[in-house]
Amino acid sequence: MKNKHVNAIVVGAGAGGGIVAKELAVAGLSVVLFERGGWATYDDHNDDELISQRTTVLGNAFGPDDKRHRRVVVNSDGSTRIVLPSEGSYSNNAACVGSGTVSYGAMAWRFMEKDFTMKSTYGHVEGSTLDDWPINYFDLEPYYEKAEWEIGVSGESGANPFESHREKPYPMPPFAYNHSANILADAAKRLGYSPFPIPMLRNSVRYGGRPACYRMRSCVGFACPVNAKCGTHNTVIPTALDSGNCELRTHCQVAEIMLDEKGRATGVKYFDEKDKGQIQTADIVVVSAAAVETARLLLNSKSKLFPNGAGNNNDWVGRNLQGHAYTGAHGLMNDDVYDDVGPGATLAIADFNHDNPGIVGGGVLCNEFTAMPYLFSKMRPPGAKRWGPEHKEYQRSQFKKLIRLHGPFQEIPNFEARVTVDSEVKDHWGIPVARLSGSRHPYDPTGCQYMSERAEEILKEAGAYHTWQRVGGRGLSGGQHQAGTTRMGNDPKISVTNKFGQVHEIDNLFIADGSLCVTNGGFNPALTIMALGYWVGDYIVKNWNGSKFK
Amino acid sequence: MKNKIFRNIIRSLLILFVILIILGGSYTWWNAASPERTCASCHEISPSHTTWTASAHRDISCFKCHGTALENGWHSLSEKTRMVMRHIQNKPHPDDIRLSEAQIFETMERCISCHQTEYANWLAGGHSATYADILLDETHNTTEQLNFDCLRCHGMFYEGTIPDLVEPISQHGPWSMKDKKIADKPTMPCMTCHQIHSKGEPAQRPDYSSPNNIFYSRNMENNSLGFFIRNEKIHFDLANLPTPVILNGTDTVQTPADLVYRLCVQCHAPSVWHQAGSHDDRTPTGVHEGISCRACHEPHSNYQRNSCDKCHPGESKNCRLDVKTMNTTYFLPSSENDIHFVSCDDCHENQIR
Amino acid sequence: METSRREFLRQLSLACGSVLFIPACAGYDSPWRFFSEKEARTVIAFAGQIIPADQDAGATDANVVNFIDKQLIGPYTRFQEEYRKGISAIENSAQKLFQKAFYELDRDNQTGFMEQMEAGKLPEEFWTEVNQRSFFNLVLDHSMQGFYGSPRHGGNKNYVSYKMMRLDYPHVLGQNRYESKCATAKLMEL
Repeated sequence: MKNKHVNAIVVGAGAGGGIVAKELAVAGLSVVLFERGGWATYDDHNDDELISQRTTVLGNAFGPDDKRHRRVVVNSDGSTRIVLPSEGSYSNNAACVGSGTVSYGAMAWRFMEKDFTMKSTYGHVEGSTLDDWPINYFDLEPYYEKAEWEIGVSGESGANPFESHREKPYPMPPFAYNHSANILADAAKRLGYSPFPIPMLRNSVRYGGRPACYRMRSCVGFACPVNAKCGTHNTVIPTALDSGNCELRTHCQVAEIMLDEKGRATGVKYFDEKDKGQIQTADIVVVSAAAVETARLLLNSKSKLFPNGAGNNNDWVGRNLQGHAYTGAHGLMNDDVYDDVGPGATLAIADFNHDNPGIVGGGVLCNEFTAMPYLFSKMRPPGAKRWGPEHKEYQRSQFKKLIRLHGPFQEIPNFEARVTVDSEVKDHWGIPVARLSGSRHPYDPTGCQYMSERAEEILKEAGAYHTWQRVGGRGLSGGQHQAGTTRMGNDPKISVTNKFGQVHEIDNLFIADGSLCVTNGGFNPALTIMALGYWVGDYIVKNWNGSKFK
Repeated sequence: MKNKIFRNIIRSLLILFVILIILGGSYTWWNAASPERTCASCHEISPSHTTWTASAHRDISCFKCHGTALENGWHSLSEKTRMVMRHIQNKPHPDDIRLSEAQIFETMERCISCHQTEYANWLAGGHSATYADILLDETHNTTEQLNFDCLRCHGMFYEGTIPDLVEPISQHGPWSMKDKKIADKPTMPCMTCHQIHSKGEPAQRPDYSSPNNIFYSRNMENNSLGFFIRNEKIHFDLANLPTPVILNGTDTVQTPADLVYRLCVQCHAPSVWHQAGSHDDRTPTGVHEGISCRACHEPHSNYQRNSCDKCHPGESKNCRLDVKTMNTTYFLPSSENDIHFVSCDDCHENQIR
Repeated sequence: METSRREFLRQLSLACGSVLFIPACAGYDSPWRFFSEKEARTVIAFAGQIIPADQDAGATDANVVNFIDKQLIGPYTRFQEEYRKGISAIENSAQKLFQKAFYELDRDNQTGFMEQMEAGKLPEEFWTEVNQRSFFNLVLDHSMQGFYGSPRHGGNKNYVSYKMMRLDYPHVLGQNRYESKCATAKLMEL
């Protein structure tokens, strides 16, 4: 049976897509929201570390599965290898209703003003595609606010002296520090820094008809047992469905965006849950499948006017793949600092996001989320034994004594870190898979080194008797914080969409996820992706007159 | 010709008779022979069988609790057939054998047939709450949204999730059971706190020539207690359950040494900050610090109304006070001087040294 | 001795039944799903040195081999060949160096052997199909997963590793976060 034509298709029910679907549905447009996974519940894998988002060794609790999905990774020597979703280099995000927002750590960061103007702040960086966004912080501010209030954020307004201006406070009070945060807060203050509670997309009090967080140990990487973590799956997506205008189609893999001879999108080809090929037509197509899959879908959508993929006539789709170069330091304390108060991360220091002497950009430092025992078995000082009695003794005696302070360094984008589609390897449905190649910009380790030094300095001040740095910034980028592959910009020659996420030359094709980010900020990106979802959704609602854009 | 037909009939009857003898025989033999030669000869059952041979229930044969194939008509026949089929096809590993929730309830019926007093006490106490009692409670549902973690302490055997049980999942009722069949089933059946296959005390007469053999000097063990952990789908022995550190302000509370405390505190649990008396915690502090839950609460019924008499024989010779007339929850359930944390200071103005 | 017809039938049927059932469940020789008993012994010894028993349980008590065995017919089916060949290479190397099976070596010889393997220094002749260093890393990683992961996957029996790390399991957490006087109110009615 033929699918009924709708106003809009949204591909991907994650942080961006869930919000766009809700914005359009509530405004009265008929929407089909596609998701390649299903609804994930706590009961599926509960507190199982080996099938969690952080340690996917036995599979991905939140999808995709190892059976049907593949990617190709190009090694630094030019050779290639096929990787499964449960392997680290796959750069997996998630594949379920709500996507990463079901299992994330839920930090709720707004980018800072300077994060939108990296090039004019720091100048050109050799070998990079560092640039300014076509929008600034104040364009996005009302949409950040909307995300904070509709999805739900706990935080202390005004506690971060480096935060850019906000019109409205957070809707919920902040979370109390755990033991390690109290120790670090004192040390950071003694050094003249300004620690504050991390804003979180998690209920500190009852909010949105859902319970407050009870501070479970297994939070980041897991679904919430009490539904206190706020994602699109328990906020905007239910609202969209309740409006009666949105149909959610789970377990559907979208293969291609169909483009007509005039170069307009007419709908998508997809495989339904029985692997049957189907067509859904629509007036508008919004892609929010995360940076790797969004680029793959555009590149797989070839047509007469776009022989290299939708919106790719200037070869910018899939370029500038970014993530976050995590960096920081570890310190061992004399006494127990681990108090089993989940999820562990409560304290942030934003002193190093910008204005660091001689450094381009920077990032926020936070005390780390609780490491579960298997993950902890990999955390050792340089040169420590990897097995045997010493390894076991460390596991036994140091688990409660380790503090980790680290954060996401804002990567410097480059043209060669990219997503293409592989000419040979195909997935279960015969669709060419994503191929990841290139590496981070050579500048990144320099910035990471600076942040790691600061982290180590704070740990020493906090009384750590043994500290060591973990300096990131090398290798292929991407990961859960993947971004940048369909950059927004004013110049169609060096960007893929305009400032509203509308693909240049295809006025009814939109992108609404991290792929739009010109640069990725020194912060976890979820709230920014949500704000972009509201931004793009708002533009569509205000400018769509029923048949074309004003 | 007639003779031939007659012979055929006789032959068929004989064959039928032999088949019946074999089938009936197999069935009788299966239920009569020792488990080592029947159920437990299949490798996936052997670990359960091994623990059963050392348990208090070792003289009760498998089918007394697990039922026979013909006992419950078509239902039991199809259930046992499915088990045999799975055994032949998938060769399941012992690790992966579980009772279904329906089997838990059926087994519970058989527990009751012997343990009638325990059953009556349990039924009268607070732990016999049904799914409907728990999930349709208005006070709870208007204040807290139902969530997956409810099933950690209520309905831990349920083979679905909260949205399969009740609707709507919101703080605005009216609520109704989506799974109607289960509404009047207990959320905390026997197997929540008991393991049937577990090491028990051997039944034996004391040997009077060896005093250590007599009851009072024997080291008694009741290993039937354990908690069913829904996440792992197994029972944890008391010895394997953690004893949480409980705090009273910054002081560490001396928690009861009786291992049964570990069982109770699993659900009667404090907040993440582990302060005594927070959330559902009832760890005694003050004058009753360190006292076992069982000192006051009867097992099964949790009845505690005669408990003060066990330790406080009327008026104290020291201070001339009768605790049973003091303002505590024993006397007045709404008293601020809750038995669980009443301290000397609550009644004596000057701190007693 | 006279037997009633009923008793005779009962005995006859019992005899028939037992004949029917006795051979039915024969044929489980290895308790493992993937490993042979000998392979399992090698893996037990190997994992037992990666996480040795001391005052706390080690990989053997935690049943790490059961974890690996279970995963090899599940998510780790793709490593079956590497295990089969790798274990055989360990056995061949041990035979050549010590004229004994790896699991029969004493502790010092086992760890010495493993250090060689970790550094890629075992005789190359047995390691043409499997890389000794990557096989070492594979078993190392799987042993850690089996010891520190959830018991539902076959290892970490009774959460021994959590106990060693002083980490409560289950996480003791209360749920009653609203001011409910209902419990007290019900008592009042009594």
